[in-house]
Amino acid sequence: MTATCREACCSVTPRLTVAELFERGFRRSREAPRSIEGAPCTGAENNTTSFSLDVADGRIAAVGFRASCCATLIAYCEYIAEIVPSFGLAIARELTASNLVDSVPGVPALKRDRAVLAIAAFRAALLAADITQRGEPSNESRLHLRHPAP
Amino acid sequence: MKVAYIFATQRHNISYVLAKMILPQLEQKRHGVDVVGMFFFEDNNYVLVDGNPIGERLHKVAKDTGMLLMGCDQCCYEREIADKLFPGVPIGCFPDLYKALSGNMPDQVITL
Repeated sequence: MTATCREACCSVTPRLTVAELFERGFRRSREAPRSIEGAPCTGAENNTTSFSLDVADGRIAAVGFRASCCATLIAYCEYIAEIVPSFGLAIARELTASNLVDSVPGVPALKRDRAVLAIAAFRAALLAADITQRGEPSNESRLHLRHPAP
Repeated sequence: MKVAYIFATQRHNISYVLAKMILPQLEQKRHGVDVVGMFFFEDNNYVLVDGNPIGERLHKVAKDTGMLLMGCDQCCYEREIADKLFPGVPIGCFPDLYKALSGNMPDQVITL
């Protein structure tokens, strides 16, 4: 077992709890956007979010986002922003809302739909990165944007 | 008259004002007004954790009368209890509270 325990018992930081992701995400959401900006996505209850990326050599170098002031949504967006740097675009596209829900425990069922919104907005930014990198979107990107996995 | 209570301060509010004044009166149907909702900030949210004895009584009253119970989402996340509340008790912030109360608007909102 080599994985670092991020529970309170081990006092390891940064912890991946909703509260701490929200704290870090709230700060990140107020930073200037990165160079490639994805289209904003709006979900239930008028929550809106958009991602921005810096991409170097086909890999994600940095992530920014803007989001409505919803703690759950900001926590999900921050989780994405913290884990995807250094991912290739194709691998990042494989991240699903289910992955997000599983990775950020403690969110009540009624609030988990924010994960779908966060992933849709992240994929919109990946699509924008595709367009920037290749000059046109791949069919796969379009498919993911229109049908974000649950 | 319809009222909503917001439990915002932490001194003696739950163990005394809620548990020894408001809740017994609601249980005895002699509180004097219809309580349409209660919203909880900070440590007051622990009363909503499934199994809390005061919360058990409050949850029963809420189910019987249709009274809204809601915890502050950021407060619950910070305490890591957001997914440990009584069944059907939501968490949220002001937009969620106003939306939840919109179908049964209180005449007065009382902050305790």
